[in-house]
Amino acid sequence: MRVVKSLFIGFSAAALLTACTAGGDNPGTEYAPNMYHSVAYEPYSQIVDEDAGRWLTSIEYPDGHAEFFNSNKFNPHRMTMREPAPNTVSRNKQGWLPYRFGKDSLAYAAASIKNPLDSSAAVIAGGKLLYEMYCDHCHGAKGAGDGKVADKYAGVANLNSDALKNISEGHIFHVITHGKGLMWAHGSQINPEDRWKIAKYVKTLQK
Amino acid sequence: MIKLYLPSAFKFYTVALILAFTSLNSFSQDIPSDPAAISAGESLFNANCKACHRVHQKLVGPALADVYNRAPSIDWIKAFIKNSSAVIASGDDYAVKLYNEYNKTQMTAFSSLKDDQIMEILAYVKAETDKGPAQAVVKTDAATTGTQGAGASNQYLNVILVGMVIILILLIVILGFLVSALKRFLDQKDLTEEEKEIVHSPISAGSIFQSSGFVFIVVFLVASLGFKTVINTLLSIGVQQGYAPTQPIAFSHKIHAGQYEIDCKYCHTGVMKGKSATIPSVNICMNCHNQIKVGTITGEAEIAKILRAHSENKPVEWVRIHNLPDLAYFNHAQHVNVGGIECQTCHGEIQTMDVVRQQNLLTMGWCIDCHRKTDVNTKGNAYYDKLVELHETATKKKTMKVEEIGGLECAKCHY
Repeated sequence: MRVVKSLFIGFSAAALLTACTAGGDNPGTEYAPNMYHSVAYEPYSQIVDEDAGRWLTSIEYPDGHAEFFNSNKFNPHRMTMREPAPNTVSRNKQGWLPYRFGKDSLAYAAASIKNPLDSSAAVIAGGKLLYEMYCDHCHGAKGAGDGKVADKYAGVANLNSDALKNISEGHIFHVITHGKGLMWAHGSQINPEDRWKIAKYVKTLQK
Repeated sequence: MIKLYLPSAFKFYTVALILAFTSLNSFSQDIPSDPAAISAGESLFNANCKACHRVHQKLVGPALADVYNRAPSIDWIKAFIKNSSAVIASGDDYAVKLYNEYNKTQMTAFSSLKDDQIMEILAYVKAETDKGPAQAVVKTDAATTGTQGAGASNQYLNVILVGMVIILILLIVILGFLVSALKRFLDQKDLTEEEKEIVHSPISAGSIFQSSGFVFIVVFLVASLGFKTVINTLLSIGVQQGYAPTQPIAFSHKIHAGQYEIDCKYCHTGVMKGKSATIPSVNICMNCHNQIKVGTITGEAEIAKILRAHSENKPVEWVRIHNLPDLAYFNHAQHVNVGGIECQTCHGEIQTMDVVRQQNLLTMGWCIDCHRKTDVNTKGNAYYDKLVELHETATKKKTMKVEEIGGLECAKCHY
């Protein structure tokens, strides 16, 4: 009987301990929670519960929240980033001003804007890397519009077709920024310098 | 055979050519219907038209089914394909109507297409029109391909286990034979009653359970198993390996990164530029899902959540899976952009996971282990040139480990 009892205690202790291990929706037990959680806003790991960590709270916060709460109450949807202040102009490290041509001025942009980058091997190699990141799953490795996603997403342009063969780099830049036809705008994902690099590389594909 | 065949083929083609030339001005019956023209037309269609047109579906431009009967004439189609803006500018009623109907989107001028190429394209369109719209084929290949790798090593283990069990059973049988042989040998000797009793003592369950050998084995097994569980569990405190939370949308990396080979960086745009790889915002999802509204596994329900978030202008609150404690600093750009480390090195084979789980420990020991083993990616990086030179003269080694440029210093990650 004594053996059975001690076995039972041992197994239930082991079962209790396994609750500490992470798996599924359970992130597991934390060893030093007050060093794990960011005090500053951390947009991707917000702790929304105002009472989280009340048991070890040592500081009296003016709004009464407990130790771990770090969610942004002031912005809509608890977002941490904000829109830039109105009437401000962002500058990148090259000192370029933001691209202001609207979506409908494709013809004008194609004719008038010039690629500020040179055609060095480094720029084209950089463009190739970026093309593989952002373009080739639709437009295909050679630009033939035969990427895997193109099976599912209708309207992927064949960059080597006669109609597109002679487009300018400005045209490519404008289309990446604003989209065209069924392609949506990619300006938020790819910064202007990278867009120009991709334009350079696409021109080498079209040769 | 060949002699006979050649002239007749020649005749056939000349007749076909003559027909093609004499009947340029009429309708669908003049569209070639031989398989060669249709397949040539298909490749032309795929190269030039597919981006904006389908046969049975309205896309950027109209669905082309039956266009040869609908449009004013075949010649009109040719003129429009070669230079649509000229046709529109000429004030042609049908062209102007089309132009206005499709939001004044101008069709690209395909001036390089020849007349017979256009006829081939029409041949393809006609063949497809006659075929009728394709039935949607529902793909249900939710097969278990992800567990193959684990399955192989499991099978190997099973074979070993079965082998060992067989060996153990054989051992018991051999021992049984030995016991009975010894008994027979002892029976032939003159033994006292007492000794006979010991030789023939019956084996009962009670005698086995109470034997000191059995008790020792049981206690040893239970104690060692218990000890192993306790140590393992204590070591797993603060380690989130295996964490696979349910996400607000049942997104599958296996479909996006595996099946469709979308680069990780297409969505995780911050990974080359900053500390966080960034979780994509809804507009990135919408780049494809503005059109793709039926998922492979979950149908419309899950994708509808993205569309709702987009129309309500609300972020999707994804649950972060890889949570490094705030006491440690980690930068994605340094590892991916400078170090050239693949995402899979730390995150595991994400492209095979329907639900992402934390594959690796992400403990300090795990980080340090890699910093000790990994060579710094100095190739083509002028920042390291002088350092590599100095390192070479000092140590006579061509490569340097991360450890050797301070990769183990506390303050690199803890500050």
